[in-house]
Amino acid sequence: MISRLPRFAPLLLLLTVSALGQPNEIRKSICRINNTAQEANYRVPWMPGAMSGGSGTGWVVSADRLVTNAHVVSNARFLTVEKENDPKKYIATVEHIAHDCDLAVLKVQDASFFKGTKPLALGGIPELESQVTVFGYPIGGDRMSVTQGIVSRVDFRTYTHSVVDSHLSIQIDAAINPGNSGGPVMQDGKVVGVAFQGFSGDVAQNVGYMIPTPVIQHFLDDIKDGHYDRYMDLSIGIANTLNPAMRKALGLTDDDRGVIVSSVQSAGVCAGKVLVGDVLLGIDGLSIASDGMVELQGERVLMSEVAERKFLGDSVKFSLLREKKPLEVEVKFDRAWPFGMLATSYDTQPPYVLFGGLLFQPLSRNLLAAYQFSSDRINYHYDFFISKELYKERPEIVVLSAILPDPLNTYLGEFQQGIVDEVNDRKIRTLKDLAEALEAQAEFYVIKFVGYGRPLVLERTAVEAARLRIKQRYNVLSEQNLVSEAVQTR
Amino acid sequence: MHRSLFALVICLLLALPASRAEEARTLSIIRVNVTNQAWDFARPWGKRPPYSRRAVGTVLEGGRVLVTAELVANANYVEFETPEGGRKVPATVDVVDYEANLAILKTDDAEFLKPVKPLEVAPAAVGDTLAVWQLEATGNLLVTKATLTTAEVTRYPVDDSPLLIYRLTTPLQFRDSSFTLPVVKDGKLVGLVMRYDTNTNNADLIPAPVIQHFLTDAAKPPYKGFPRSGITSAQTRDPQFRRYIGLTGQTGGIYVTDTVPGGPAALAGVEKGDVILKIDGESVDQDGNYKDPDYGKISISHLFSTRHFDGETLKITVVRKGETKDLDLKLAHRPVESYVIEPYIFDRAPSFYILGGLVLGELSRQYLKEFGGDWMKKAPEQFVYFDRQQGELFKDGPKKIVFLNRVLPSDLTVGYEELAHLVVKKINGVALQSLADIPDALTKATNGLHRIEFDGEPGTIYLDAALVSASEVAFKQKYRLPTLQRLE
Repeated sequence: MISRLPRFAPLLLLLTVSALGQPNEIRKSICRINNTAQEANYRVPWMPGAMSGGSGTGWVVSADRLVTNAHVVSNARFLTVEKENDPKKYIATVEHIAHDCDLAVLKVQDASFFKGTKPLALGGIPELESQVTVFGYPIGGDRMSVTQGIVSRVDFRTYTHSVVDSHLSIQIDAAINPGNSGGPVMQDGKVVGVAFQGFSGDVAQNVGYMIPTPVIQHFLDDIKDGHYDRYMDLSIGIANTLNPAMRKALGLTDDDRGVIVSSVQSAGVCAGKVLVGDVLLGIDGLSIASDGMVELQGERVLMSEVAERKFLGDSVKFSLLREKKPLEVEVKFDRAWPFGMLATSYDTQPPYVLFGGLLFQPLSRNLLAAYQFSSDRINYHYDFFISKELYKERPEIVVLSAILPDPLNTYLGEFQQGIVDEVNDRKIRTLKDLAEALEAQAEFYVIKFVGYGRPLVLERTAVEAARLRIKQRYNVLSEQNLVSEAVQTR
Repeated sequence: MHRSLFALVICLLLALPASRAEEARTLSIIRVNVTNQAWDFARPWGKRPPYSRRAVGTVLEGGRVLVTAELVANANYVEFETPEGGRKVPATVDVVDYEANLAILKTDDAEFLKPVKPLEVAPAAVGDTLAVWQLEATGNLLVTKATLTTAEVTRYPVDDSPLLIYRLTTPLQFRDSSFTLPVVKDGKLVGLVMRYDTNTNNADLIPAPVIQHFLTDAAKPPYKGFPRSGITSAQTRDPQFRRYIGLTGQTGGIYVTDTVPGGPAALAGVEKGDVILKIDGESVDQDGNYKDPDYGKISISHLFSTRHFDGETLKITVVRKGETKDLDLKLAHRPVESYVIEPYIFDRAPSFYILGGLVLGELSRQYLKEFGGDWMKKAPEQFVYFDRQQGELFKDGPKKIVFLNRVLPSDLTVGYEELAHLVVKKINGVALQSLADIPDALTKATNGLHRIEFDGEPGTIYLDAALVSASEVAFKQKYRLPTLQRLE
């Protein structure tokens, strides 16, 4: 049935004509992106991962650059872009990719690709109920598709590409389907968003999300210096001061202002500057309400939105009460949040150390996805890594994730899923520590695991005797990878 | 439909010959009907709805009726009934051990058990053919024969206390009172069915040795319980590990990974890293088994828990840094109250303290189990982790973990409504060791405010001390609470 539908619905033309002044101009600046991707293999980390293909949509943002979603071009090995009415496949490369806000900028090798295109201009945040048009190459056909809907909601939402990042996002009721990703959502001839995620049909209907222009603009501004620095974060916890007894204890008047600082991450930018128990009254001159909201350009938003708009090197100024005395504190964003293990990572090779058939890997979302660990200790270290500041003791949680069976390690099964604590009395804080400790010459390698009363013991002579055997039997191409270096798309 | 079916059942009962019923009674079993009502640990001021179960009780010498402890956990009312469903008399729980999952019931009605021939308890061996006894609705005996396939030490319903079990593999039919079924060989009781898996047809029994230990202990009040060694250990099978710890020249021994503070092993001087070679003259192999005269290779925890009693002293031989030492280990039962997070609480109301709408309690596994059958996934992750790793995490206290269960919102708790499942560290600067510390801590309010500190977000909150006291009566009425605290 579907195949019998006419390829060009007459309705489409009518709508584009009525909504936009120059429909052809816009459509010429939109392209399909084909990605041949290769995912990292966390179970056999020395092996190249499985290949997969995918496609999405991109649009011309400047004279020689395209914008799309990060997830359209993640783990790319080979990228091509195609325009409507042009038979040629152009080879593209990723210039900048921002996994924390699911955006990327592409270069196209052949400059002739941009002939006849016109950069699309960015608009503002569209009004609720106003109409928008989505352009892209979703499933259901080969040629460009256009759908239309209204703006349903403007809200903070998790960006599922990295899972841990939340930014402003706009919900629309136009159909957004696989392949639409990266495509522009237009209003009055300007881009008001990039279509990026939705629900599958059995969860919710007519719910699609787009990345709004403040987030797109933030990304484009960040990369102006040729480097993407990521979003800045205050890394503090705040609690409301709605309770009258709480307000009395903190010396607050009845003016509905202020939040109390309930935690300050020691690895964050506020460490040492903002203290637990401080009452934050204002941020960059904006008054903070007792529920943690500020009024920014006429909208009530979370105070974290102020930090969202900052860049590396910027500062934020707090007006606060410390021990009931007013104080001005300036916090400089001198680094992005350093621990990425909770976010899904892309474009990296899995770090690991293989020793005596024992595979050691740092805990990460990717590792958890690859292994269905049952250990409550691993889950605790993952879920409470930040809130309990476990990173202070161990910036990397090194896990014995798998054992390649060999006579050398046949009695060591009980240690699988253990978290490495010490090797020969040396505290293991990172995978690199482990690699160094295992390089040291010793008669016995004594590996202690967190919460295990008995250490794992390997004899050096036995490890050396088994080394080649294990490498050959299991086709181990390399025994370690210590740096998770970015793989460049060429 | 219903009416005619009912009539049919009545007819059948009436048609039952008297002699058949008499035969069942001589078979040493009766019906036990129990109405249980557990405390609601999520709303600790009240109980859950009561429910009733029918089970089979095994009659022993001296007017004792043996059932599983699970049957009578939180029992409100217990009665005995003749197998054919005639007479009923009230009964009481005489002795109960939830760790061994056994209970002795008694009745004041001396006549009731008189016609019943008591059963003796005797162990069985692997390979024996046993008979599982059930009662038909008519009072007739339903017998299922099965072979005893396995005797091993494994977990009981209270997970922390492994004990010996017997295992049978046989399809058992469901009857309305198929609970705590006796298993018999040659007219003697060899075990009670403790759990039955309908997929594998495996029935795990509380075996005669555990029953005998329980009965012997119960005969000399006060009841002490199954003793424990207080040792956690690891295998020493790996030759590289044996060479590392200098364990050459012998084949057995287990490696002590930890001891329970203040437990029998710690008091005896057993240390982490010791290798235990012998217990009570029995050699310990590298997997932690010894050769039992009845069951062959079996875990040494059977030796500690079931072959000996609380208060007995065993000689254990350890190797420490190459030297062999003999230590005297005095066995003792570990009381459930000594756990930071108690593994079970039955027949006892949960303690709680409602402070201006904050419902505070002591963390227990019984509370975590309120999250349902898969509580280990559904209950707050941190609490489950605390429970599972409590031996490692709380060696330096606290005695109990005081936590905020939930908030009953009122004008005192504005802004705190969504707080739940948080560990309470301090109230008014007093570090809490248990709920009992709260009344004293509340006398230390400063500037008329109670200061409550949590472990983690939101950090510290405050309550108006005068308003908390003044609103107690109204608060009780608002939420229909019988009391605002229970501290015992």
